[in-house]
Amino acid sequence: MISHLPIIIIIFPLAIAFMILLFRKYSPFLSIVGLLVSFLSLVRFLPFMRKGEEILYHLGGWQGPLGISLSIDGLSFFFSFTVLLVGIMVILYSIPEKKYNHNYYFLLLVLLSSMIGTIFTADIFNMYILFELVSIVTCLLVAYYQQGIALRASFNYLLISTVALSLFLLGVGSLYSMAGSLYIPNIFAQMPIIFTYKPGIVLTSLSLFITSMGIKMAMVPVHGWLPDAHSLAPSSVSAILSGVVVKVGVYCMIRLLYGLFNIENFHFFKSSLQLLMILGAITIVFGAMMALAQYDLKRMLAYSTIVQIGVILIGIGLHNNTGLEGALFHVINHALLKSGLFFCAGIVISQTGKRRIIDMAGYAERNPLLVFCFTILSLGIIGIPPMNGFISKFMICLSAVETGYSIFALIIIFGSLLTAAYFFRVIQVFYSKPIQQDTRLENSKHNKDTVLNSGFFRVFAICFLASLSLLLGIIPSLGILIIRPAIGILVPVVLP
Amino acid sequence: MTPINISLLVFMIGLYGVIVKNNMIKKVIGLAILNSSVVLLFVAIGYRDGGMAPIIDNQTANSIDTVLVNPVPQALMLTAIVVSISLTALALAMVVKIYAKYKTLDIQRINRE
Amino acid sequence: MDNSKILRTIAQKLFPFILMFGFYLTLHGHLSPGGGFQGGVVIGTAIILLALSYGVDETEKRFRENILSMLEKLAILTFILLGLLGIFFGYPFLRDIMPLGEKGCLASAGMMIPLNIVISIKVAAGITGIFYALVKYRGEI
Repeated sequence: MISHLPIIIIIFPLAIAFMILLFRKYSPFLSIVGLLVSFLSLVRFLPFMRKGEEILYHLGGWQGPLGISLSIDGLSFFFSFTVLLVGIMVILYSIPEKKYNHNYYFLLLVLLSSMIGTIFTADIFNMYILFELVSIVTCLLVAYYQQGIALRASFNYLLISTVALSLFLLGVGSLYSMAGSLYIPNIFAQMPIIFTYKPGIVLTSLSLFITSMGIKMAMVPVHGWLPDAHSLAPSSVSAILSGVVVKVGVYCMIRLLYGLFNIENFHFFKSSLQLLMILGAITIVFGAMMALAQYDLKRMLAYSTIVQIGVILIGIGLHNNTGLEGALFHVINHALLKSGLFFCAGIVISQTGKRRIIDMAGYAERNPLLVFCFTILSLGIIGIPPMNGFISKFMICLSAVETGYSIFALIIIFGSLLTAAYFFRVIQVFYSKPIQQDTRLENSKHNKDTVLNSGFFRVFAICFLASLSLLLGIIPSLGILIIRPAIGILVPVVLP
Repeated sequence: MTPINISLLVFMIGLYGVIVKNNMIKKVIGLAILNSSVVLLFVAIGYRDGGMAPIIDNQTANSIDTVLVNPVPQALMLTAIVVSISLTALALAMVVKIYAKYKTLDIQRINRE
Repeated sequence: MDNSKILRTIAQKLFPFILMFGFYLTLHGHLSPGGGFQGGVVIGTAIILLALSYGVDETEKRFRENILSMLEKLAILTFILLGLLGIFFGYPFLRDIMPLGEKGCLASAGMMIPLNIVISIKVAAGITGIFYALVKYRGEI
């Protein structure tokens, strides 16, 4: 049975999703069961990853260029681990909410299953199909409450995401015309020959891939869909969007750049990595400045996501072992921290009914545990030493200085400074006294329902994420345990 | 004119429709043109000179040197057309809902509210 | 949508032939152009033709929406079950476990015929469902 586990990890949440539509009453329970089975099956592969082996699973028995294969190597394992961990937390968070009926759990499970499918597949056309499924289900989740403004954001996101994926498919087509196969190891092996005959096609497909994956992971010139979509969605959907859906774009960018294009014969590669670093730097500066100017709490958190994606881009662009380790560690750190922050924002907005930061003054009196967790999580995003955000940003800055690009280390520190500015503003507003006295008198009536009124599951989810982040910050080798195999895959093309 | 050039030209026409036009239905039509340009690229890639449609019946199976075009891009494009249909259907459903709430199809006027 | 008697009569007479053409496309998917998705769309188009000539409410009494929705969910669960059938026999997912007949014959090509039929049912139910959703609720959202 263990040899069939790769397909069970993808199919089991999908089957549970369709069973949820038939048995509507047990939807939270069924979805937790489905995700736990997938998560435990995934963790079963950890010993293989530590040894550096790669698991290949050929669907239908058709091997090589004739069929579609799933490949679990260190990189896929790491990203699907992140996806499943954040997915379980999001379902735990959504259990107390009465407004989520069976459709919500169905869409969440299809989203998680197709994200894991995108991460596992070793066939670039299959990657396009599953990524398209991720975009469609994300649109439906963003427009879940069917308010006017969320529908606008969702329509905008659908248009931009379709343009991005059509560009991706154009790149796939131009590569297929020269390589004759869609299987990633085959194209990797044939890349020197293609580059000798027609370097134009390789450059075309490289630029199309960078553009399309840049749109999907919100680089700065093409980031316009992210603030609307992430701030107008329901809070648990924002958590999973900012946490993991953006990271699938990061995974596809890493897989296409390092897994398809063979660097030794390709001198365009180094300058495209430098372009990625410059775009990452622009993303940090622009995102941080826009986040400082926001009134709305969730919109500020959405711009903060753009800043952290810029940090990850600088880490990817550094052609260095430590840089890639820092970037991947920042992926899981940001997923945990940003999900926790969006959970906290969701509880604050649903309890006070207000979305602007200024109107939430004095919230710490009502719910001190929540604001304490918010403080810990925001210290992680800024990058203060006991937290995990410090470790990953420090690794990226260290490798930037080692390879001679010290300016990017300065830009990361500048971004952290601005991040501190807007997060400390929010914490200060939480801990201050409210502006009007009568709202305080009104709130004291609700003083009895502080922590446990938010529901046990929500408090558990937030405290679990905060303590996991603190643990990863104090003992970073727990995170490096699952990242080291991912770097091991990229070692043939990464110069130490 | 190579296949990738023509396909990028049609893609740009569709992209012009998505970006510039204010009417939401025209944006969705631009989206459909975008998706069709990708189908054009793949099918044009699979062409072989003098080739016939890739169906094997008694006539083509008995003679050795009939040239058939590459069937793999055509099979891939069937899937891509399915995806394009679902995207158009979803976008139109959203346009119906937005129209019911805002009573106008002009996206500039909707964004101002 | 209650149009002339000519339209209603012609649609009524054409309906079984379009349905038959849809089944033909589905079952000959491995021999000629066609397959599950195309056959399903043709079957869905036949139902839409009836809806356009007789009126959506009349057609909905015959092809009810909750039955179509149940057919969709059962079809996808059957697809996953057919794929897992390969695992029970020890092969990877979606392997051909039916016998491969001779080339060019209708009963060849392993697993493709049941999968084509299941896909065509799902697509027909899906297309009709999309049509109902876009047309039935006009104006009263």
